[in-house]
Formats: sequence, structure tokens, C-alpha cells
Amino acid sequence: MERFLLRNIENPNSADIEEYIKSGGYKNISKAFELQPSDIIEEVKKSGLRGRGGAGFPTFMKWNFASADKKFPKYLICNADEGEPGTFKDRPILEKNPHLLIEGMIISAYALKAEHGYIYLRGEYPYAYDVLNKAIGDAYERGFLGNNVLGKNIKFSLAVHLGAGAYICGEETALLDSLEGRRGQPRNKPPFPVNEGAWGMPTIVNNVETLANIPYIVGIGGDAYSKIGNPNSPGPKLYCVSGHVEKPGVYELPMGTSLKDIIYDHAGGIKDGKKLKAVFPGGISTPLLPADCIDCAMDFVSMPKYGSMLGAGSVIVMDETVCMVKVAHRAMKFFEHESCGKCTPCREGTEWMRKILERIEKGWGRSEDISLLADIANNISGKSFCALGDGATSMMNSILKHFRAEFEEHVKEKRCRFKQKQF
Amino acid sequence: MITLTINGKEIRLDKPVTVLKAAQQAGIKIPTLCNHELLKPFGGCRLCVVEVERMPKLMTSCTLMAADGMVIRTESDAIANVRRAILEFLLINHPLDCPVCDKAGECELQDAVMQYGPPSGRFIEEKRRVRESHDDPILARNMERCIVCTRCVRMCEDVQGASAISMIDRGGRAVMEPFSSKSFNCEYCGNCITACPVGSILSRLYIHSYRPWQVDKEVETICGYCGVGCSFVAQVRDESIKRVIPKIGLGLNNGLLCSKGRFGYGFIEDSGRLKTPLIRKGDVLVESTWDEALDFVAEKLMKIKDSYGGRAIGGITSARCTNEDNYVFQKFMRMACGTNNIDSISRTGYAATQKYFESLLGQGITANIIGGIKKSDMVLVLGGDPTAVNPVLGLSIRAAAKAGAEVAVIGHAPGLEWYKTVKVMPPLFKEADLLEALLVEVFSARGNRGESHAIDRAVSEFSQEYSGKMDIHGFEELKDKLLKSDSISIIFGMDLVQRSNGHRALFATAGLIHLLEARLYLLSERPNEQGLIDAGCVPDMLPGGRPLGIPDFRRRYEDAWKRPIPDTEGLTLMEMIEGAKRGDIKALYIMGDNPAFNLPDHAFIKESLASLDLLVVQDIFLTETAELADVVLPALGWPEKSGTYTNLERRIQLLQKAVETTSGMDDWSIISKLSSRMGYDMLYTDAENVMDEISRVSPLYRNLSYREISEKECLWPYNGEPLRGEVKDIKVIREKSRDYDADLYIALDKPLFHSGSISQRSPGLMDISPEPRLKIGTQLAENMNLKDGDNVIISADRGSISARVSIDASLNGNILLMSNNFKEKGVLGIMGYHLDPVTKAPGIEGCAITVRKDST
Amino acid sequence: MLEEIEDIKAKYPDTRAALLPALYIAQKEFGWLSLDAMKAVADALNLPESDVRGAASFYSMFRLKPAGRNLIQLCTNVSCMILGAERFVDILKERYGLLPGGTTSDGRFSLVIMECIGACGTAPAMLVNTDLHENLAEHNIPEILGKYK
Ligand SMILES: Cc1cc2nc3c(=O)[nH]c(=O)nc-3n(C[C@H](O)[C@H](O)[C@H](O)COP(=O)(O)O)c2cc1C
Ligand code: SF4
Ligand code: FES
Repeated sequence: MERFLLRNIENPNSADIEEYIKSGGYKNISKAFELQPSDIIEEVKKSGLRGRGGAGFPTFMKWNFASADKKFPKYLICNADEGEPGTFKDRPILEKNPHLLIEGMIISAYALKAEHGYIYLRGEYPYAYDVLNKAIGDAYERGFLGNNVLGKNIKFSLAVHLGAGAYICGEETALLDSLEGRRGQPRNKPPFPVNEGAWGMPTIVNNVETLANIPYIVGIGGDAYSKIGNPNSPGPKLYCVSGHVEKPGVYELPMGTSLKDIIYDHAGGIKDGKKLKAVFPGGISTPLLPADCIDCAMDFVSMPKYGSMLGAGSVIVMDETVCMVKVAHRAMKFFEHESCGKCTPCREGTEWMRKILERIEKGWGRSEDISLLADIANNISGKSFCALGDGATSMMNSILKHFRAEFEEHVKEKRCRFKQKQF
Repeated sequence: MITLTINGKEIRLDKPVTVLKAAQQAGIKIPTLCNHELLKPFGGCRLCVVEVERMPKLMTSCTLMAADGMVIRTESDAIANVRRAILEFLLINHPLDCPVCDKAGECELQDAVMQYGPPSGRFIEEKRRVRESHDDPILARNMERCIVCTRCVRMCEDVQGASAISMIDRGGRAVMEPFSSKSFNCEYCGNCITACPVGSILSRLYIHSYRPWQVDKEVETICGYCGVGCSFVAQVRDESIKRVIPKIGLGLNNGLLCSKGRFGYGFIEDSGRLKTPLIRKGDVLVESTWDEALDFVAEKLMKIKDSYGGRAIGGITSARCTNEDNYVFQKFMRMACGTNNIDSISRTGYAATQKYFESLLGQGITANIIGGIKKSDMVLVLGGDPTAVNPVLGLSIRAAAKAGAEVAVIGHAPGLEWYKTVKVMPPLFKEADLLEALLVEVFSARGNRGESHAIDRAVSEFSQEYSGKMDIHGFEELKDKLLKSDSISIIFGMDLVQRSNGHRALFATAGLIHLLEARLYLLSERPNEQGLIDAGCVPDMLPGGRPLGIPDFRRRYEDAWKRPIPDTEGLTLMEMIEGAKRGDIKALYIMGDNPAFNLPDHAFIKESLASLDLLVVQDIFLTETAELADVVLPALGWPEKSGTYTNLERRIQLLQKAVETTSGMDDWSIISKLSSRMGYDMLYTDAENVMDEISRVSPLYRNLSYREISEKECLWPYNGEPLRGEVKDIKVIREKSRDYDADLYIALDKPLFHSGSISQRSPGLMDISPEPRLKIGTQLAENMNLKDGDNVIISADRGSISARVSIDASLNGNILLMSNNFKEKGVLGIMGYHLDPVTKAPGIEGCAITVRKDST
Repeated sequence: MLEEIEDIKAKYPDTRAALLPALYIAQKEFGWLSLDAMKAVADALNLPESDVRGAASFYSMFRLKPAGRNLIQLCTNVSCMILGAERFVDILKERYGLLPGGTTSDGRFSLVIMECIGACGTAPAMLVNTDLHENLAEHNIPEILGKYK
């Protein structure tokens, strides 16, 4: 299918504003400005677009809430924290197609009557930082940004705000605290950002990919867009595939493409002809699927039926040589390290589970440790302040569910049979 | 109207609150840890979860707003399981050192575990270890016990506004840091100690010294340090105060205290306490008995009265003494000694100011409750740093700022640096000029209020004659903001009155108050400055603020007291001292204050006192003044007293004896014994008995009993009749300020951690601030190549003192600051003074100094 | 440094928001964030020092202890791990005496183990200063690090 989000990224100069305009960029702004803001939101509604940040929240709803609030100024924030392990789908847009994002933000800002925008970019993307700053500078020069966008006296200022290495800052309320210059810890909801977000003002936080879809929706119209992929969760989707596949990378495919096709048809199948063992379909916060459960359609509505989630569409493929205890241990280290520490279950539970996993991996595990792990996980899930804690437990529970035997073996044998096999 | 059901109980709410509060209102207890009455909901600990019908997850009741029709359960197996799990999580890294932890017995974690906790732990891994820290004065920090509720952080930032604490690092590695570590801006209020639910933050004053359940008594009383009058509970064991704790719902401070209130009680156990009366034999003071001492004084006073008349006798009282003490004192002076020469050190500030404002704006103009500050949309601060002089009042200013109010600061108030929205720095010692300019500007914008008050006339006259605008940074902005705001609180500090032309600032401020219809608050450094005025310890007024000049009032008291009252106004504080020097005053009776240290020009004061025929001093320590006395009578410190104080809001509060002592006698009872010996009987049985008389004779209060005072708020105008006085002619002596062109000037610093000369005898406060420092701005220090800690000698025309330097980034220009709280290092000593002709307060501005490194 | 911070303030409606950028600037200036560096930032933004410390310590890319001239940020999260990232930890230890969180004796390199740096598609990967190096293999390590003096 023709690509929209990754259009002409093979072109080494794709990030230049010239190139972007040549390939038809920024024309959807003029188109959008002919419409009323409310019409654009209506198109987005028709399109059926759901947030690409992981939660899959219907975008038009968020936009309606924000527009309903009459406080001004409003802020539009692009969530470019892309922190979920295994996720690198926003990066090509940020590095190779920045103007698509900017165009998306300008249109969205117009629709939302937001006068100020920020791109919250993760600190680990220094290259994207330079690209974005250059792109924003050029966009200002061309009058796409500023106090009088395209002479239509529409006001929209845009700046990049660089994070500094905290996964939790991808969570939208933590992001706001971080943007305001605080420790990035999640806020109580309500009030929701759409009513009291950045500096107490109505604020819309959307993912990079979500915003990059907006020009497309305006371009082809909501109805046409809604016909792409699964009608219940339509649109083009960026799937990023990593791990043991022949052709890892980011693939723009219709929403709902099956996990199997993604891995075998697009990513070229398992590396060195090895056997597939398991997959994290949407990053390590989404429940892991064993090899025999990959016929699932990768979209927001289907995945839950298969006991997992689409998340950010970050497919991590693991072959037969991988030790699941080791994976669980490393993943848990991540959650422990990234827990902001605000709430008890996540702060204490992730550390506790990591310590147990570490023992089991070393061969010092006790048989009761396995049920203890499950117990701790259940004591976190649904009880933590934000979804980070839940992510940790989905990971733990799903691995225990499908690979409990491997844990028991570690405990019994007091060793890991994958050790020597690896590399 | 919100109606919801909790545990089957229907609850109606008139205003929206959290489910937790709704439950509490209905007497249903939900366990909490990160929640705190004074703090915004946090939702971190997750202990307070409840079941809400039609909500899939358990919800934290501390963050969930109650909504109409909600059906809630606070106890169930599911809930119990979660609470057990949460407590298990909290315990895995919490050291189980309860037996040696001072929090045991009042630890919220311990209590929660008792009720919901797991019987045993399943945690076999290594616990986190954090070393206990004693790096800060006063505080002991044990972050190993920390459960990361962040109550201390939120208390310090959102309520105290000091922002000395922050959560450091994240996840399981999080600890609460940095407090002061001597380099951060900790105000040592100790409010983090009360905020901490576990044993992570403790006071070194009581650590390891007792258990909370091992106290003999808990006494509710009032702090005797400043004019705010915070309430607290003193925990006493073996007649020794172990600790003081504020209580939510108790007093105007509602659970908060400042460093002085919380850590300053140690002075009463100081070894220097006077135990027996002393009489001068030659040039030594020797121990004596009460009878001998009182007879001696009585006899001497009678003699002097007979040969020179009452006008040769003077009385100086103290704002640390109670209303009862002060009432008895002035009655004694007027009846037994036959003089109106009665005044106090408050003449140097509060008394002078209060009188001036009342004479222009009417009685009760200063009677405003501190809570009102939070509600104003603009706060104007001048003449001192409220966060240092009256710290708990200062918190309301910070709270107002957080609520979006404008906070304007004229002059130096470092405690408001993060909160001010306008700052105006007047030229050195020229605040009056600034205020006058401001008055004229406001007048020309607003015009006067039309009512034909004398003040209206005075203001318009003044504005017509006055010329000369001020163009200094912030002036215009300040003016505009004042004119824009419609509920203004003015916080007036005494620095502006300690000027030889202080009345100018007073007049201008009075004009502003009148034109802007502002609420006035006077900063007050002593607990009972207002009380001693109301008790009649001023030379020109009888109890209840009744002018002595008016015969009817005199008669009223003469009937009650059964003796004539001298009809001429008495001398003010400095006039008495100067009179002593001249020889017109032969005897001074000083109750509870220390003029030889607390007034400027120590050499002169001491000379004057030395030239008296009789100097009697009633005090708890052998102060600089007592050392000069002919007779010294041991009295009681406020934690040992019963009685009442009237705070800067004019709120009357009950002081209750916390500890018994054998060292001294109540001031009122010493005076009565003396009075009786002089043939004027005073037969009071106790303080309450004195209050009965006061409320009988003073028109200000009607049948005011201790019961009433302790049971309900006792606020101006009580049940009495304030004087709706016709305003006297307004004296404004208008002169230009002179210029100040010396290289260096010094001014009096009013520090947060000290007050008068008792704080230097309180180990807690000495731990925080062990010595006086000469504060000097960064730039100036650089020019003079002085480093923090350097020893210097400061010389002025009245003498020299030595001190160590501390660099203070908040200071600019060529003005240095030093306090007057440490023996032999009181800055007032080297400063000369000029009396303000109107207020009679000693002006100490413009004291030029030289500073040189002390090589010795 | 102070001018730079002033410019940044302009980007936000409130000066506190300039804290993270200001910390980056200070870190560039001093190489790491000492208490003095953080105090300078606090003064520049009229913020309490404790707030600055609290924020600085929250984000793992702010360095609260001195670091070497070049910072190696090696990802060992799942995607990189299963493709052998942990080997490079050993290699850096064996060949450069460089331990996670440590600095080489000559002060040339510091090593920080990173969570996912978003290079999973070209794993294993690491950042050296601001340069991304992908598809790491045992043999190309010396040549990569050789570029940094
Ligand atoms: C722990 C956590 C991490 C998150 N990280 C990201 C992220 O890196 N990028 C992102 O776009 N959304 C992330 N989210 C989701 C955001 O909270 C938010 O839902 C999203 O930015 C909304 O944008 P969307 O509606 O366009 O998806 C995260 C959520 C959680 C709970
Ligand atoms: S679950 Fe709690 S501790 Fe974990 S990241 Fe969210 S708020 Fe922080
Ligand atoms: S008390 Fe509600 S979460 Fe802590």
C-alpha cells in the first residue's frame, strides 16, 4: 500500500522543508484552514483515529473535551518520549519526516484553538532534537508557525522540550510536570489535562504518530481514512519490529495486519532459520505471546481478545535461544529503574520481584518464589497509581503463564540451560 | 447537596469533599498514610482504598471526590487484602527497629500494621540501607524508615513555604533530602517532624529521652515568644518539658509552629535561673529572703515617694508578662506609688505604633485576624520580614501568594523572596519619603473617602503641600497594583518606627490604610504587647484604652481602686531613663525586661540606671539590668505561669502553667505583696482572681472568665465597649529626610531563630544559631575582602563589638545587619538614638560604622 | 551560561519550566552537576535549591558525579540484550577497565547502562556522547571508540 507516514523517507533530504513541500507537504494546512475547527474534529471523529501512544484512546473525544473547556490559552503537546522498550516507531517521523509532524500539529492546534505547542522529546534522541529544531526554525521562516500563520492571523508557537531519561515522563500527566520543570511524577486525575494540564490550562497530549496522521485525515477525508485497515480501529499503523528477525525495522501497514504477517512477510521471518519462541507484541509492558498465538490481528480492538494489547505496536521477537527468566529479570530491572516512586506497590513491588528474579536466574531460587512472584504481581496490578505498575505485572504474569516450567527448571536445576547456548 | 452512602450509612454533604473526608465526617475511619489534614491529596501510599459501586478498580478515598449517589464500602475482604499487601510492601524495606525507634507508640505505620498488616513477612532479600543523618541542627533523619509518603516535602513546600526538602532520586532509591545540611534554606520550624508518620524525622532535643506514653501531663498553653500567640501542647515529665507539639484544630496556628515555639522552651531549665531574692550590699548582690527584700523595697519606695512625690518613681514593664501581671503592675504604680510613669520596651515599636494608628483611625484598627491575610488579593509588607518576626503569620502571606494574591514588599524581607510579586527598595532610611509619595499618588487617583474624618482632612492637606515624586524601580507597579486590588492587607513592621522621624511613615501608612480601606496587621516581637496597653501599662491611658486625660474615666477607676489617680500623663520609656540621668527620677521598678540590653546606647542606659537611688528588677535571670539593681526579685518564665496574653490580633488567649517551679514567684503576686506592704492592699488569690477584677473594672471586657477564654475564641471587641473616640488633632511634623553618605551603616536584624535574651539560653535554638553574625551583602563582602566566618570588630560612635561575618546574598548596598540577642554582642549597644518627637520611640537609623578584621 | 538560560525562559510561560534546559546547559558547562552548579541554576531561575536537586536527581541523564570526557551510553534492554548487548559490558570491562557507572582511569570514558534508547531495529546499540552507534559487533568497538579522545 502507498505509505503516508513514512512517505519518501528513503530520500536522504526528506527532512528538508523544500523536499517536504515538493512532495505535497503543508498543503493540507491551507485545506484545513478553509474548514471550521469543529469540522476538523468532526473529520477526525469520522476517521476513527485512536491514539497511537499505547492507550488507543479515541482522539476526537480527547479533542472534544479540550474544546469544550473555555479557558485560554490552550496547549498542544506532542508526546515524543517514545520510552517503551522495543519502541522506535516515532523516530523515523521525528528524524526523517519532521515537517509531517509539524504540519499535523499546526492543523490540530487550529482545530483545538491552541496557541502554543511543545514537542516533549526524549533525551535519548539528540539527533532528532537537532532535526526538529532546524525544521521548526524553517517552518517559522516560511510563516507556517508564528503569530500570523499563512497570513490567516492564526497564532501558533512551537518548541521542543528535551526530556532527560525518565520513562515515566511518557505518561501524560508526568510529562506535564516534567515540562513545567518538576520531577516527572504522575498527577491525580481528575482534573484531566484537557481541563487542567500544562500550567493549569486545557492541554491536549497526543503521540507523534497520532498527530502525523492528521494531515492525511484532512487530505483524504475522515471517511476514506476509516476504510483503511480494521474499521473498528482503522488507519495506517507503524509497527516496529526488533529482536530475532531477518529484517528488523519500522513498517507502515494497515491497522490490523496479523502479527504473523508482520514477522514473517514483512520482517523476513526468524533470524538464521531459528524457531520462534515468544513475542512482546506492543513493547515489554504488553503481555507476552508464545509462538503459537501469533495469528492475532494487531489493532486496539482485536489484541485484547488474544490476551494482549497493541500498545505502541512494538514487536519484540525472541527465538528459541532466549531464556525467559533472563528476559523477565531484565524487563523487571527496567520497571524497577523507571518506577517514579510515588506509589507503594510499584516502588516496592518491582524492586522485590527483581531481587527474586535475580536469585532464580543465578540458580538460588526457591520453589515458593514462583508463586510469590505471581502474588506480588497481583498485589501491584490495578493498585498502582499509574499504568507503569500494571505494565510490570502484565509482563511478569504473562511470562509466568506461558513459561512457568522454565522458572521451575531454574529452581530445580539451580542453573540456566540457555546460558552456554546463548551467542 | 451531595448524598452518598458509605457502609450503608447515608451521608449528606453541603460542599464537595473527598470520600475520605466524607467518611471522617460520618465517623467512619479509613486508614491513611500519605494523607495529611494540612496537605493536598497525594494518593501515593494506596492504603485508603475503598470499593465504589460501578467502578471496576478499588479507589483511593483520599483523592476521590464524593459524588451524588455514590455507594461506597470501606471494609471488605478485597480491601483488607489490598491493605495487607500495601503494608507488606512498606515493611519489606522498613527496618523493624521499633524497640529503639522514638516514634514507637505514635507511629502511623505501626498502628496500621497492627490493624491490617500481615502476620509475617515473606521478604528474604537484602533490605535497603541508608545511614542515619545528624548533619542538621536539631533534626535527626533516618531515611531507612522512610515510607516515601512525601508529607515532609509537601509540608515544607506547600505549607511552610521554605522548600528545604525534596524527594531525591526515584523509585525504591528515593530519599527525602536535603533539609538544611547547613547550606539549604531550612527554617527549622520542625513542621516536617509532625508531618512524618514514621520515625524518619525526629528532634534531637527529645530523641531517646522518653516514650510518648511516658508523660505525666499534657498541658495546652500559648507560646511566649512572639505576638502571634501559637497554641501547643507541652508534654511534661518530672516537671520538665519533654517536647511541645502543635495540634490540628488547636489555636490559630492549627498544627504549625516555628523554630522558637517548637524548640525554644529550654531556657526555663537554664542553670542561670534566679532562685532567691538578691539585695545589694556594697557592690555585690547577696542572697536574701522574700520578707527582707520586699520590706526593703517597700520602705525605700515610700521614702522616695514622701520626699519627692510619685513623679520621681517610674515603672517599666514587659510584654512577656501576662495581662494580669501588667494590670496589677500599673495599679500598683498608680495607687501605691502615685505615678503615671508607666511604660515598657514596647514603646520602641508596637506601643508607639498602635497608639498612633488608633489615634488617627480609631480604636480596634489593628484588631484583624491573621486568617484574613490568606483571603486578601494583595498583601503589602513593610518595615520588616514577617517570616522572621512573626513566622506563623508569615505563612499566611506565603499562602496568599500561592493562592494568587499580589505580594508587595517595601524594603528587606528575604523570607518572601520567592513569593513577592513587586519589590521596592527605598533609598537608605527613606521609607517615609517613599510612603508619602505613595500616599499622594493614591490620593490623587482615589481622592479621599468623603466621610469627614480628621484623617481625610489631614491627607488632603498633606497631598496638596507635598511635592516630590519617587522614581525608583517598582514604584509605579506597586501603585497600580494597590489601586487595582480591593482587599488589601498591610503588614507593618517596627523598623519604620525605630526612626527619629517614624511618625512620618506612620502618618503616610495611616493615610494609605484609610484610602485603600486596607486591613492592618502590626508585627509584634513579644507575646503580650497589645495586652500591656489594654492593661494600662502606658503613661497616658488607663486599662481598656481609656485616655487618662478624661476625668470621667479617671473617676471610674478611682471609684474602683479607692484612691485618686494622678491626673498628669506620665513619662514614656526613654523620658524616664533620661530623667534618671538628670536626677528627676529617683526610683525605677522594672518588671520582666532588660532595658540595659534591649535599648540602644548601652553605656548611656547603664549610666542612667546607675544614678538612681533605687533600682528594683523582677526577672528570671540576672540580666544586664538586674546586675545594676539594688534589689532583684526572682519571677517565673511563661511556661511556669497561668494568665492571659493578648496577641497582635487582639485575641485573648489562656496561658496555662505547664511546669511547677520553686525558683520564683508570679509577677502579679510579688507586686501585690509589695503593694500591701506599702499600705495599699492587694489580696489576689490567683491570676484568675485578677482577671475577674479586670473584667469588672475595664470597660473593654465584660464578665470575661477563663472558662470563656478557653472555650471560645475571645476576639476584639470582646463583650465590651470600645472607645469610639473622637480623633485628636493630627501632629505631622514634616521635614525632609537627611542624606546618608557614610561608607557603611548598620541596622538591627530581627532574626528568625532568636528573640530577646531568653532564646540564647535555649539549647534547641542555640544548636540552630549559636552566635550572632554580622550579615553583609555578597558584593560588599567582596569589596571589603571578607569571607564567611571572618572575625571582625564593628565600631560606631557609641562603642565596638566583635562578631563573625556571614555573607547574605539577599543584602545589597552599604547596609549591614546584626541582631541584639546575645550577651555582650547586642548591636543596639553601639547605636545612638534620637527620640521621635511624636511617638517618643528612640530612632536608631543612620548608625555609621567601620568594620575591621579582628586579628586576635 | 546565564545568557543562554535567559533566552530559554522566553520559550515558556513560567520560568520554572526552564529548569531542565538550564540543567542541560549547566551540565554542558561543568561536565556534571555539582551542588554549586545546581545552586547557580537555582539562582538563575529564582528557585529553591532543593527543587533543583530534586529534579536533577530524578532524571537519569543528569550526572550528579564527575564524568569522563566521553560518555558511553550502552543499551542492554530486552531487544539489545537478546542480540548480545551484555557482551559489550564485558568487553568494556576487560579491554578498557570500564565498569557500569564508572570512568576509565585516564578520564577518557564513562559508561552508563541505558534503558531502551529506541534503536532496537538496529540493536545492539549505544550512544557515545550524542552520536548513535548501531549494529554493534565485537570487532567494531575499538574502531568506534577510537574516534573519541
Ligand atoms: C508509563 C507510561 C508510559 C508512556 N509512554 C508513552 C510514550 O513514550 N509515548 C506516548 O506517546 N505515550 C506514552 N504513554 C501514553 C500517554 O500517557 C498518553 O496516553 C498518550 O501520549 C496520549 O496520546 P495518544 O492519545 O495520541 O496516544 C505512556 C503511558 C504510561 C502509563
Ligand atoms: S505506578 Fe506509581 S510508582 Fe510506578 S510509576 Fe506510576 S506512580 Fe510512579
Ligand atoms: S492516604 Fe490515600 S493514598 Fe495514601
